Amino acid sequence: MSEGPRPAWSSAFDPGALPALDPIARIDDITPEWAWGDSSGAGVKVAVIDSGVDASHPAVGSVEGYLSVSQDGEELAYDKQPHEDVFGHGTACAGIIRTLAPDCELYSVRVLGPGLKGRGTVFAGGLRWAIENGMQVCNLSLGSTKRDLFGVFHELTDLAYFQGVMLVTAANNMPVTSFPSLYASVFSVASHDVDDPYRFYYNPDPPVEFGALGIDVRLAWRDGGFITATGNSFAAPHISGLVAKILGKHPGLTVFQMKTVLRALAANVSRDG
Amino acid sequence: MTDDADARIARLEAEVERLRLRAEAEPFAERLAGALSRASAAGTIGSPVTHARLLELIVETAAHVISARAAALFLLDEEAGELVFEVALGSKAEEVKKHRVPLGSGIAGLVALSGQPLAVSDASSDPRQARDIADAVGYVPESILCVPLVYADETIGVLELLDKEGAPSFSAADMEALGLFANQAAVALQQSLTHRSLAALVAEIAESTGEAGRGDGARALAALADTDPGYRGARELAALVHEIAAHGEDELEACTAILRTFAGYLQGRPRPGGELGGRAP
Repeated sequence: MSEGPRPAWSSAFDPGALPALDPIARIDDITPEWAWGDSSGAGVKVAVIDSGVDASHPAVGSVEGYLSVSQDGEELAYDKQPHEDVFGHGTACAGIIRTLAPDCELYSVRVLGPGLKGRGTVFAGGLRWAIENGMQVCNLSLGSTKRDLFGVFHELTDLAYFQGVMLVTAANNMPVTSFPSLYASVFSVASHDVDDPYRFYYNPDPPVEFGALGIDVRLAWRDGGFITATGNSFAAPHISGLVAKILGKHPGLTVFQMKTVLRALAANVSRDG
Repeated sequence: MTDDADARIARLEAEVERLRLRAEAEPFAERLAGALSRASAAGTIGSPVTHARLLELIVETAAHVISARAAALFLLDEEAGELVFEVALGSKAEEVKKHRVPLGSGIAGLVALSGQPLAVSDASSDPRQARDIADAVGYVPESILCVPLVYADETIGVLELLDKEGAPSFSAADMEALGLFANQAAVALQQSLTHRSLAALVAEIAESTGEAGRGDGARALAALADTDPGYRGARELAALVHEIAAHGEDELEACTAILRTFAGYLQGRPRPGGELGGRAP
Protein backbone atom coordinates (compact mmCIF):
# COMPACT_ATOMS: atom_id res chain seq x y z
CA MET A 1 0.00 0.00 0.00
CA SER A 2 1.13 3.52 -0.69
CA GLU A 3 2.83 5.39 2.14
CA GLY A 4 2.17 8.76 0.46
CA PRO A 5 0.12 11.59 1.95
CA ARG A 6 -3.60 10.86 2.32
CA PRO A 7 -6.29 13.04 0.72
CA ALA A 8 -7.29 15.88 3.05
CA TRP A 9 -10.42 14.36 4.63
CA SER A 10 -8.82 10.95 5.03
CA SER A 11 -5.99 12.17 7.24
CA ALA A 12 -8.42 12.09 10.16
CA PHE A 13 -8.57 8.31 9.75
CA ASP A 14 -4.84 7.72 9.86
CA PRO A 15 -4.53 5.06 12.58
CA GLY A 16 -2.06 7.26 14.42
CA ALA A 17 -4.43 10.23 14.39
CA LEU A 18 -7.68 8.47 15.34
CA PRO A 19 -8.63 9.12 18.96
CA ALA A 20 -10.16 6.28 20.96
CA LEU A 21 -13.74 7.17 21.89
CA ASP A 22 -15.75 6.13 24.93
CA PRO A 23 -18.79 3.99 24.18
CA ILE A 24 -22.23 5.30 25.07
CA ALA A 25 -24.94 3.14 26.61
CA ARG A 26 -26.72 0.53 24.55
CA ILE A 27 -29.91 2.15 23.33
CA ASP A 28 -32.01 -0.28 25.39
CA ASP A 29 -30.14 0.78 28.53
CA ILE A 30 -30.88 4.49 28.18
CA THR A 31 -33.07 5.57 31.10
CA PRO A 32 -33.66 8.98 32.69
CA GLU A 33 -31.30 7.84 35.45
CA TRP A 34 -28.60 7.11 32.87
CA ALA A 35 -29.35 10.23 30.83
CA TRP A 36 -29.42 12.91 33.52
CA GLY A 37 -29.61 11.26 36.94
CA ASP A 38 -29.21 14.13 39.42
CA SER A 39 -27.63 16.50 36.90
CA SER A 40 -28.70 20.11 37.35
CA GLY A 41 -27.08 21.22 34.11
CA ALA A 42 -24.15 22.69 36.05
CA GLY A 43 -21.34 23.90 33.81
CA VAL A 44 -23.44 23.80 30.63
CA LYS A 45 -23.63 27.06 28.67
CA VAL A 46 -27.14 27.76 27.40
CA ALA A 47 -27.88 30.75 25.16
CA VAL A 48 -31.40 32.15 25.05
CA ILE A 49 -31.48 33.87 21.66
CA ASP A 50 -34.56 36.01 22.08
CA SER A 51 -35.83 39.35 23.42
CA GLY A 52 -33.39 39.50 26.33
CA VAL A 53 -33.57 37.89 29.77
CA ASP A 54 -34.57 39.68 32.96
CA ALA A 55 -32.04 38.39 35.51
CA SER A 56 -33.94 40.05 38.35
CA HIS A 57 -36.99 37.87 37.75
CA PRO A 58 -37.28 35.33 40.61
CA ALA A 59 -37.89 32.51 38.11
CA VAL A 60 -34.64 33.21 36.25
CA GLY A 61 -31.86 33.68 38.79
CA SER A 62 -28.50 34.72 37.50
CA VAL A 63 -27.51 35.45 33.92
CA GLU A 64 -23.88 34.62 33.16
CA GLY A 65 -23.42 36.89 30.17
CA TYR A 66 -25.20 39.23 27.78
CA LEU A 67 -24.97 40.08 24.13
CA SER A 68 -27.28 42.49 22.37
CA VAL A 69 -27.14 42.49 18.57
CA SER A 70 -28.44 45.34 16.43
CA GLN A 71 -28.04 46.66 12.93
CA ASP A 72 -25.79 49.71 12.65
CA GLY A 73 -25.80 50.87 9.05
CA GLU A 74 -24.50 47.95 7.01
CA GLU A 75 -22.72 46.41 9.98
CA LEU A 76 -23.94 44.47 12.99
CA ALA A 77 -23.26 46.02 16.39
CA TYR A 78 -22.58 43.82 19.44
CA ASP A 79 -23.07 45.11 22.97
CA LYS A 80 -22.12 43.05 26.03
CA GLN A 81 -23.67 45.37 28.62
CA PRO A 82 -26.47 43.81 30.71
CA HIS A 83 -29.83 44.45 29.05
CA GLU A 84 -33.47 43.98 29.98
CA ASP A 85 -36.35 42.18 28.33
CA VAL A 86 -39.09 44.58 27.25
CA PHE A 87 -41.34 41.77 26.00
CA GLY A 88 -40.96 39.01 28.57
CA HIS A 89 -40.54 36.30 25.91
CA GLY A 90 -36.85 35.57 26.53
CA THR A 91 -37.42 35.70 30.27
CA ALA A 92 -40.20 33.12 29.88
CA CYS A 93 -37.87 30.78 27.97
CA ALA A 94 -35.07 31.25 30.51
CA GLY A 95 -37.49 30.48 33.36
CA ILE A 96 -38.52 27.20 31.74
CA ILE A 97 -34.90 26.18 31.15
CA ARG A 98 -34.15 26.93 34.82
CA THR A 99 -36.94 24.63 36.04
CA LEU A 100 -35.18 21.69 34.31
CA ALA A 101 -31.52 22.71 34.53
CA PRO A 102 -31.38 25.01 37.59
CA ASP A 103 -27.59 25.32 37.61
CA CYS A 104 -26.87 25.79 33.90
CA GLU A 105 -25.04 28.96 32.83
CA LEU A 106 -27.56 31.18 31.08
CA TYR A 107 -26.49 33.67 28.41
CA SER A 108 -28.93 36.21 27.03
CA VAL A 109 -28.41 36.91 23.34
CA ARG A 110 -30.88 39.66 22.47
CA VAL A 111 -31.91 39.78 18.82
CA LEU A 112 -35.54 40.89 19.23
CA GLY A 113 -35.67 44.54 20.11
CA PRO A 114 -37.86 47.51 19.37
CA GLY A 115 -36.21 47.94 15.96
CA LEU A 116 -37.34 46.18 12.82
CA LYS A 117 -34.27 46.84 10.76
CA GLY A 118 -32.38 43.78 9.64
CA ARG A 119 -34.42 41.42 11.80
CA GLY A 120 -33.23 38.27 10.03
CA THR A 121 -29.61 39.41 9.79
CA VAL A 122 -29.52 40.39 13.46
CA PHE A 123 -30.97 37.01 14.40
CA ALA A 124 -28.36 35.21 12.29
CA GLY A 125 -25.61 37.40 13.84
CA GLY A 126 -26.71 36.45 17.35
CA LEU A 127 -26.80 32.77 16.44
CA ARG A 128 -23.32 32.93 14.89
CA TRP A 129 -21.95 34.61 18.00
CA ALA A 130 -23.43 31.88 20.21
CA ILE A 131 -22.00 29.05 18.08
CA GLU A 132 -18.57 30.65 17.90
CA ASN A 133 -18.38 31.56 21.58
CA GLY A 134 -18.70 28.25 23.33
CA MET A 135 -22.44 27.97 23.84
CA GLN A 136 -23.47 24.29 24.08
CA VAL A 137 -27.23 24.73 23.82
CA CYS A 138 -29.08 27.52 21.99
CA ASN A 139 -32.78 28.06 22.53
CA LEU A 140 -34.40 29.57 19.42
CA SER A 141 -38.05 30.33 20.14
CA LEU A 142 -38.24 32.47 17.03
CA GLY A 143 -37.70 32.13 13.32
CA SER A 144 -37.09 34.08 10.19
CA THR A 145 -39.41 33.85 7.19
CA LYS A 146 -36.85 35.41 4.86
CA ARG A 147 -35.99 32.96 2.10
CA ASP A 148 -32.87 34.91 1.14
CA LEU A 149 -31.41 33.90 4.50
CA PHE A 150 -31.83 30.20 3.72
CA GLY A 151 -28.13 29.83 2.91
CA VAL A 152 -26.94 31.78 5.94
CA PHE A 153 -29.00 29.73 8.36
CA HIS A 154 -28.07 26.51 6.59
CA GLU A 155 -24.38 27.31 7.03
CA LEU A 156 -24.90 28.23 10.69
CA THR A 157 -26.90 25.12 11.57
CA ASP A 158 -24.29 22.89 9.89
CA LEU A 159 -21.54 24.72 11.78
CA ALA A 160 -23.41 24.10 15.02
CA TYR A 161 -23.95 20.43 14.17
CA PHE A 162 -20.27 19.86 13.42
CA GLN A 163 -19.23 21.62 16.64
CA GLY A 164 -21.71 19.67 18.76
CA VAL A 165 -23.83 22.74 19.56
CA MET A 166 -27.46 21.80 20.19
CA LEU A 167 -29.85 24.22 18.45
CA VAL A 168 -33.35 23.82 19.85
CA THR A 169 -35.94 25.62 17.73
CA ALA A 170 -39.64 26.30 18.04
CA ALA A 171 -41.54 25.07 15.01
CA ASN A 172 -43.92 27.71 13.69
CA ASN A 173 -47.60 26.89 14.13
CA MET A 174 -48.40 28.90 11.03
CA PRO A 175 -48.33 27.44 7.54
CA VAL A 176 -45.27 29.56 6.72
CA THR A 177 -41.62 28.81 6.14
CA SER A 178 -39.56 29.46 9.24
CA PHE A 179 -35.78 29.22 9.44
CA PRO A 180 -33.92 27.51 10.97
CA SER A 181 -36.59 25.23 12.48
CA LEU A 182 -36.93 23.18 9.29
CA TYR A 183 -33.32 21.99 9.03
CA ALA A 184 -32.37 18.40 9.86
CA SER A 185 -29.54 19.41 12.20
CA VAL A 186 -31.73 21.20 14.77
CA PHE A 187 -34.09 19.94 17.47
CA SER A 188 -37.41 21.24 16.13
CA VAL A 189 -40.14 21.33 18.79
CA ALA A 190 -43.94 21.76 18.80
CA SER A 191 -46.42 21.74 21.69
CA HIS A 192 -48.37 19.19 23.69
CA ASP A 193 -50.67 19.99 26.60
CA VAL A 194 -49.79 17.40 29.25
CA ASP A 195 -48.81 19.45 32.28
CA ASP A 196 -45.46 17.72 32.86
CA PRO A 197 -42.25 19.58 31.93
CA TYR A 198 -40.36 16.28 31.62
CA ARG A 199 -42.80 14.65 29.25
CA PHE A 200 -41.88 14.80 25.58
CA TYR A 201 -42.68 12.87 22.42
CA TYR A 202 -40.72 11.87 19.36
CA ASN A 203 -42.39 12.42 15.98
CA PRO A 204 -41.21 9.89 13.38
CA ASP A 205 -42.57 12.18 10.65
CA PRO A 206 -40.22 15.22 10.67
CA PRO A 207 -39.34 18.09 10.19
CA VAL A 208 -40.78 18.66 13.68
CA GLU A 209 -39.17 15.83 15.65
CA PHE A 210 -40.11 16.62 19.26
CA GLY A 211 -43.25 17.57 21.19
CA ALA A 212 -42.96 19.19 24.63
CA LEU A 213 -45.20 21.13 26.99
CA GLY A 214 -46.25 24.36 25.29
CA ILE A 215 -49.96 24.73 25.98
CA ASP A 216 -51.25 26.77 28.93
CA VAL A 217 -47.81 27.08 30.45
CA ARG A 218 -47.26 29.29 33.51
CA LEU A 219 -44.45 31.64 32.48
CA ALA A 220 -42.18 34.27 33.93
CA TRP A 221 -42.84 37.49 31.97
CA ARG A 222 -41.80 41.13 31.87
CA ASP A 223 -41.80 43.46 34.89
CA GLY A 224 -41.34 40.51 37.26
CA GLY A 225 -44.82 39.22 36.36
CA PHE A 226 -46.23 35.89 35.23
CA ILE A 227 -48.67 34.91 32.48
CA THR A 228 -50.20 31.68 31.26
CA ALA A 229 -49.62 31.27 27.55
CA THR A 230 -49.61 28.84 24.64
CA GLY A 231 -47.09 28.62 21.83
CA ASN A 232 -44.32 26.44 20.43
CA SER A 233 -42.05 29.19 21.75
CA PHE A 234 -42.56 27.64 25.18
CA ALA A 235 -42.25 24.00 24.10
CA ALA A 236 -38.69 24.51 22.78
CA PRO A 237 -37.16 25.61 26.12
CA HIS A 238 -38.44 22.42 27.77
CA ILE A 239 -36.27 20.45 25.35
CA SER A 240 -33.41 22.96 25.80
CA GLY A 241 -33.56 22.44 29.56
CA LEU A 242 -33.52 18.65 29.23
CA VAL A 243 -30.67 18.76 26.73
CA ALA A 244 -28.67 20.97 29.15
CA LYS A 245 -29.42 18.53 31.95
CA ILE A 246 -28.20 15.58 29.84
CA LEU A 247 -25.08 17.47 28.76
CA GLY A 248 -24.35 18.16 32.43
CA LYS A 249 -23.90 14.42 32.90
CA HIS A 250 -22.58 13.56 29.41
CA PRO A 251 -20.59 16.60 28.26
CA GLY A 252 -19.25 15.15 25.02
CA LEU A 253 -22.45 14.04 23.32
CA THR A 254 -22.83 14.96 19.67
CA VAL A 255 -26.06 16.23 18.15
CA PHE A 256 -26.95 12.84 16.67
CA GLN A 257 -26.21 11.09 19.96
CA MET A 258 -28.42 13.58 21.81
CA LYS A 259 -31.25 12.91 19.37
CA THR A 260 -30.79 9.18 19.94
CA VAL A 261 -30.96 9.67 23.72
CA LEU A 262 -34.11 11.80 23.43
CA ARG A 263 -35.69 9.31 21.01
CA ALA A 264 -35.00 6.50 23.50
CA LEU A 265 -36.62 8.44 26.36
CA ALA A 266 -39.65 9.81 24.48
CA ALA A 267 -43.00 9.07 26.15
CA ASN A 268 -44.42 7.48 23.02
CA VAL A 269 -41.61 4.91 22.73
CA SER A 270 -42.67 1.48 23.93
CA ARG A 271 -40.48 0.02 26.65
CA ASP A 272 -41.87 -3.51 26.78
CA GLY A 273 -39.61 -6.50 26.43
CA MET B 1 -50.47 8.00 32.50
CA THR B 2 -49.31 7.15 29.01
CA ASP B 3 -52.83 6.10 28.01
CA ASP B 4 -54.21 9.29 29.44
CA ALA B 5 -51.63 11.36 27.59
CA ASP B 6 -52.17 9.47 24.36
CA ALA B 7 -55.90 9.95 24.66
CA ARG B 8 -55.40 13.70 25.15
CA ILE B 9 -53.09 13.89 22.19
CA ALA B 10 -55.58 11.94 20.09
CA ARG B 11 -58.38 14.28 21.19
CA LEU B 12 -56.27 17.27 20.32
CA GLU B 13 -55.45 15.90 16.91
CA ALA B 14 -59.11 15.14 16.29
CA GLU B 15 -60.01 18.69 17.26
CA VAL B 16 -57.39 20.16 14.95
CA GLU B 17 -58.73 18.03 12.12
CA ARG B 18 -62.31 18.98 12.91
CA LEU B 19 -61.43 22.67 12.94
CA ARG B 20 -59.44 22.35 9.79
CA LEU B 21 -62.39 20.74 8.02
CA ARG B 22 -64.72 23.32 9.47
CA ALA B 23 -62.42 26.10 8.35
CA GLU B 24 -62.44 24.67 4.85
CA ALA B 25 -66.17 24.14 4.83
CA GLU B 26 -66.98 27.54 6.27
CA PRO B 27 -67.78 30.03 3.60
CA PHE B 28 -65.04 32.32 4.84
CA ALA B 29 -62.73 31.56 1.96
CA GLU B 30 -65.45 32.43 -0.50
CA ARG B 31 -66.51 35.49 1.44
CA LEU B 32 -62.93 36.57 1.47
CA ALA B 33 -62.52 35.87 -2.22
CA GLY B 34 -65.68 37.86 -2.90
CA ALA B 35 -64.49 40.74 -0.78
CA LEU B 36 -61.16 40.63 -2.55
CA SER B 37 -62.66 40.81 -5.99
CA ARG B 38 -64.88 43.68 -4.89
CA ALA B 39 -61.94 45.43 -3.27
CA SER B 40 -59.82 44.89 -6.35
CA ALA B 41 -62.46 46.28 -8.66
CA ALA B 42 -63.08 49.22 -6.37
CA GLY B 43 -59.35 49.73 -5.92
CA THR B 44 -58.91 49.93 -9.66
CA ILE B 45 -61.48 52.68 -9.86
CA GLY B 46 -59.95 54.46 -6.93
CA SER B 47 -62.18 53.91 -3.93
CA PRO B 48 -60.39 53.22 -0.64
CA VAL B 49 -63.65 52.33 1.12
CA THR B 50 -63.80 48.73 0.02
CA HIS B 51 -60.27 48.06 1.19
CA ALA B 52 -61.36 49.12 4.65
CA ARG B 53 -64.36 46.81 4.28
CA LEU B 54 -62.03 43.94 3.39
CA LEU B 55 -60.08 44.51 6.60
CA GLU B 56 -63.35 44.50 8.54
CA LEU B 57 -64.46 41.34 6.84
CA ILE B 58 -61.23 39.56 7.69
CA VAL B 59 -61.61 40.49 11.34
CA GLU B 60 -65.33 39.64 11.47
CA THR B 61 -64.86 36.28 9.77
CA ALA B 62 -61.93 35.29 11.96
CA ALA B 63 -63.87 36.20 15.11
CA HIS B 64 -66.87 34.24 13.85
CA VAL B 65 -64.99 31.09 12.81
CA ILE B 66 -62.97 30.87 16.05
CA SER B 67 -65.83 32.15 18.29
CA ALA B 68 -64.11 35.19 19.74
CA ARG B 69 -65.96 38.02 21.45
CA ALA B 70 -63.73 40.72 19.99
CA ALA B 71 -60.93 41.07 17.47
CA ALA B 72 -58.47 43.53 16.01
CA LEU B 73 -56.17 43.83 13.05
CA PHE B 74 -52.90 45.76 12.92
CA LEU B 75 -50.78 46.47 9.85
CA LEU B 76 -47.06 46.96 10.09
CA ASP B 77 -45.52 50.31 9.22
CA GLU B 78 -41.93 49.25 8.47
CA GLU B 79 -40.64 52.82 8.22
CA ALA B 80 -41.98 53.97 11.55
CA GLY B 81 -41.44 50.62 13.31
CA GLU B 82 -45.03 50.68 14.48
CA LEU B 83 -48.17 48.65 14.25
CA VAL B 84 -51.07 50.65 12.86
CA PHE B 85 -54.34 49.64 14.39
CA GLU B 86 -56.79 49.28 11.48
CA VAL B 87 -59.95 47.50 12.58
CA ALA B 88 -61.55 46.50 15.84
CA LEU B 89 -64.64 44.44 16.40
CA GLY B 90 -66.19 44.13 19.84
CA SER B 91 -68.16 45.79 22.58
CA LYS B 92 -66.18 48.99 22.90
CA ALA B 93 -64.47 48.90 19.54
CA GLU B 94 -66.46 51.76 18.04
CA GLU B 95 -65.24 54.13 20.76
CA VAL B 96 -61.66 53.56 19.82
CA LYS B 97 -59.94 55.73 17.29
CA LYS B 98 -57.29 54.52 14.92
CA HIS B 99 -53.94 54.66 16.61
CA ARG B 100 -50.41 53.33 16.49
CA VAL B 101 -48.62 50.89 18.75
CA PRO B 102 -44.83 50.92 18.95
CA LEU B 103 -43.33 47.51 18.25
CA GLY B 104 -41.17 47.73 21.34
CA SER B 105 -43.51 45.93 23.72
CA GLY B 106 -46.76 44.08 24.06
CA ILE B 107 -48.22 40.91 22.63
CA ALA B 108 -48.95 42.24 19.11
CA GLY B 109 -45.44 43.66 18.74
CA LEU B 110 -43.89 40.45 20.01
CA VAL B 111 -45.84 38.35 17.50
CA ALA B 112 -44.94 40.73 14.66
CA LEU B 113 -41.24 40.56 15.55
CA SER B 114 -40.88 36.88 16.42
CA GLY B 115 -43.22 35.60 13.70
CA GLN B 116 -44.54 33.07 16.23
CA PRO B 117 -48.24 32.89 17.10
CA LEU B 118 -49.04 33.29 20.79
CA ALA B 119 -52.08 32.70 23.00
CA VAL B 120 -52.45 34.16 26.48
CA SER B 121 -55.11 32.78 28.79
CA ASP B 122 -54.99 35.09 31.81
CA ALA B 123 -54.34 38.47 30.27
CA SER B 124 -56.53 40.34 32.75
CA SER B 125 -54.60 39.05 35.77
CA ASP B 126 -51.79 41.44 34.89
CA PRO B 127 -53.18 44.21 32.67
CA ARG B 128 -49.69 45.56 31.96
CA GLN B 129 -49.08 42.58 29.71
CA ALA B 130 -51.94 43.42 27.37
CA ARG B 131 -51.70 47.20 27.39
CA ASP B 132 -51.41 47.49 23.62
CA ILE B 133 -54.56 45.56 22.83
CA ALA B 134 -56.38 47.10 25.80
CA ASP B 135 -55.65 50.52 24.33
CA ALA B 136 -56.83 49.36 20.92
CA VAL B 137 -60.21 47.92 21.89
CA GLY B 138 -60.85 49.93 25.05
CA TYR B 139 -60.87 47.13 27.64
CA VAL B 140 -58.61 44.42 29.04
CA PRO B 141 -59.48 41.00 27.62
CA GLU B 142 -59.37 37.71 29.55
CA SER B 143 -57.78 35.69 26.76
CA ILE B 144 -55.84 36.62 23.61
CA LEU B 145 -54.88 34.75 20.46
CA CYS B 146 -52.48 36.60 18.19
CA VAL B 147 -50.99 35.43 14.86
CA PRO B 148 -48.78 37.18 12.32
CA LEU B 149 -50.03 38.05 8.83
CA VAL B 150 -47.27 36.82 6.53
CA TYR B 151 -47.16 37.55 2.82
CA ALA B 152 -44.24 36.59 0.56
CA ASP B 153 -41.95 35.86 3.53
CA GLU B 154 -42.68 39.23 5.15
CA THR B 155 -44.78 39.94 8.20
CA ILE B 156 -47.26 42.62 7.11
CA GLY B 157 -49.30 42.78 10.31
CA VAL B 158 -50.99 40.79 13.06
CA LEU B 159 -54.48 39.51 13.67
CA GLU B 160 -55.61 39.35 17.26
CA LEU B 161 -58.68 37.62 18.69
CA LEU B 162 -59.94 38.38 22.19
CA ASP B 163 -62.02 36.43 24.70
CA LYS B 164 -62.89 32.95 23.46
CA GLU B 165 -66.63 32.32 23.76
CA GLY B 166 -67.53 29.43 26.05
CA ALA B 167 -63.97 28.63 27.15
CA PRO B 168 -61.39 30.24 29.42
CA SER B 169 -58.82 30.42 26.64
CA PHE B 170 -58.07 29.78 22.98
CA SER B 171 -56.87 26.26 22.16
CA ALA B 172 -53.92 25.05 20.12
CA ALA B 173 -56.47 24.02 17.49
CA ASP B 174 -57.80 27.61 17.40
CA MET B 175 -54.24 28.78 16.87
CA GLU B 176 -53.80 26.42 13.96
CA ALA B 177 -57.13 27.36 12.38
CA LEU B 178 -56.43 31.09 12.75
CA GLY B 179 -53.00 30.50 11.24
CA LEU B 180 -54.58 28.98 8.12
CA PHE B 181 -57.05 31.83 7.96
CA ALA B 182 -54.37 34.50 8.45
CA ASN B 183 -52.46 33.13 5.49
CA GLN B 184 -55.44 33.67 3.19
CA ALA B 185 -56.17 37.02 4.71
CA ALA B 186 -52.60 38.20 4.15
CA VAL B 187 -52.80 37.31 0.45
CA ALA B 188 -56.12 39.12 0.06
CA LEU B 189 -54.82 42.14 1.93
CA GLN B 190 -51.64 42.42 -0.06
CA GLN B 191 -53.46 42.11 -3.38
CA SER B 192 -55.95 44.73 -2.33
CA LEU B 193 -53.11 47.03 -1.24
CA THR B 194 -51.38 46.54 -4.59
CA HIS B 195 -54.54 47.48 -6.45
CA ARG B 196 -54.97 50.46 -4.20
CA SER B 197 -51.48 51.73 -4.87
CA LEU B 198 -51.97 51.19 -8.62
CA ALA B 199 -55.12 53.26 -8.39
CA ALA B 200 -53.27 55.93 -6.43
CA LEU B 201 -50.55 55.99 -9.09
CA VAL B 202 -53.08 56.36 -11.87
CA ALA B 203 -54.85 59.17 -9.99
CA GLU B 204 -51.54 60.93 -9.42
CA ILE B 205 -50.60 60.74 -13.06
CA ALA B 206 -54.00 62.02 -14.11
CA GLU B 207 -53.74 64.89 -11.65
CA SER B 208 -50.23 65.91 -12.62
CA THR B 209 -51.07 66.06 -16.30
CA GLY B 210 -54.26 68.07 -15.84
CA GLU B 211 -57.56 67.61 -17.61
CA ALA B 212 -56.26 68.51 -21.05
CA GLY B 213 -52.90 66.89 -20.40
CA ARG B 214 -51.14 65.42 -23.38
CA GLY B 215 -47.86 64.59 -21.65
CA ASP B 216 -46.17 61.27 -20.89
CA GLY B 217 -48.41 60.70 -17.90
CA ALA B 218 -51.58 60.93 -19.89
CA ARG B 219 -50.15 58.61 -22.53
CA ALA B 220 -49.13 56.13 -19.83
CA LEU B 221 -52.61 56.32 -18.38
CA ALA B 222 -54.17 55.83 -21.78
CA ALA B 223 -51.85 52.90 -22.49
CA LEU B 224 -52.76 51.31 -19.18
CA ALA B 225 -56.46 51.75 -19.84
CA ASP B 226 -56.06 50.23 -23.29
CA THR B 227 -53.87 47.29 -22.39
CA ASP B 228 -55.20 46.23 -18.98
CA PRO B 229 -58.54 44.52 -19.57
CA GLY B 230 -59.30 44.51 -15.82
CA TYR B 231 -58.84 48.25 -15.61
CA ARG B 232 -60.83 48.87 -18.79
CA GLY B 233 -63.69 46.66 -17.60
CA ALA B 234 -63.80 48.23 -14.17
CA ARG B 235 -63.70 51.71 -15.68
CA GLU B 236 -66.60 50.94 -18.00
CA LEU B 237 -68.57 49.50 -15.10
CA ALA B 238 -67.76 52.53 -12.95
CA ALA B 239 -68.84 54.86 -15.76
CA LEU B 240 -72.15 53.02 -16.09
CA VAL B 241 -72.82 53.11 -12.35
CA HIS B 242 -71.88 56.78 -12.33
CA GLU B 243 -74.35 57.48 -15.14
CA ILE B 244 -77.12 55.59 -13.36
CA ALA B 245 -76.34 57.39 -10.09
CA ALA B 246 -76.78 60.69 -11.88
CA HIS B 247 -80.48 59.81 -12.28
CA GLY B 248 -81.00 59.66 -8.51
CA GLU B 249 -80.65 57.57 -5.37
CA ASP B 250 -83.55 55.22 -6.13
CA GLU B 251 -82.03 54.36 -9.48
CA LEU B 252 -78.64 53.72 -7.86
CA GLU B 253 -80.26 51.50 -5.23
CA ALA B 254 -82.06 49.48 -7.91
CA CYS B 255 -78.79 49.10 -9.81
CA THR B 256 -77.02 47.87 -6.66
CA ALA B 257 -79.83 45.39 -5.93
CA ILE B 258 -79.66 43.96 -9.44
CA LEU B 259 -75.88 43.56 -9.29
CA ARG B 260 -76.06 42.01 -5.83
CA THR B 261 -78.66 39.47 -6.98
CA PHE B 262 -76.52 38.57 -9.96
CA ALA B 263 -73.41 38.22 -7.76
CA GLY B 264 -75.41 36.02 -5.37
CA TYR B 265 -76.49 33.83 -8.27
CA LEU B 266 -72.87 33.56 -9.42
CA GLN B 267 -71.69 32.66 -5.92
CA GLY B 268 -74.25 29.85 -5.70
CA ARG B 269 -73.27 28.47 -9.09
CA PRO B 270 -70.68 25.68 -9.12
CA ARG B 271 -67.43 26.88 -10.59
CA PRO B 272 -63.86 25.79 -11.07
CA GLY B 273 -61.51 26.80 -8.23
CA GLY B 274 -60.19 30.31 -8.55
CA GLU B 275 -57.04 31.72 -7.03
CA LEU B 276 -58.62 32.28 -3.65
CA GLY B 277 -61.99 30.60 -3.68
CA GLY B 278 -60.57 27.34 -4.96
CA ARG B 279 -60.23 24.34 -2.68
CA ALA B 280 -57.27 22.08 -2.48
CA PRO B 281 -57.86 18.94 -4.56
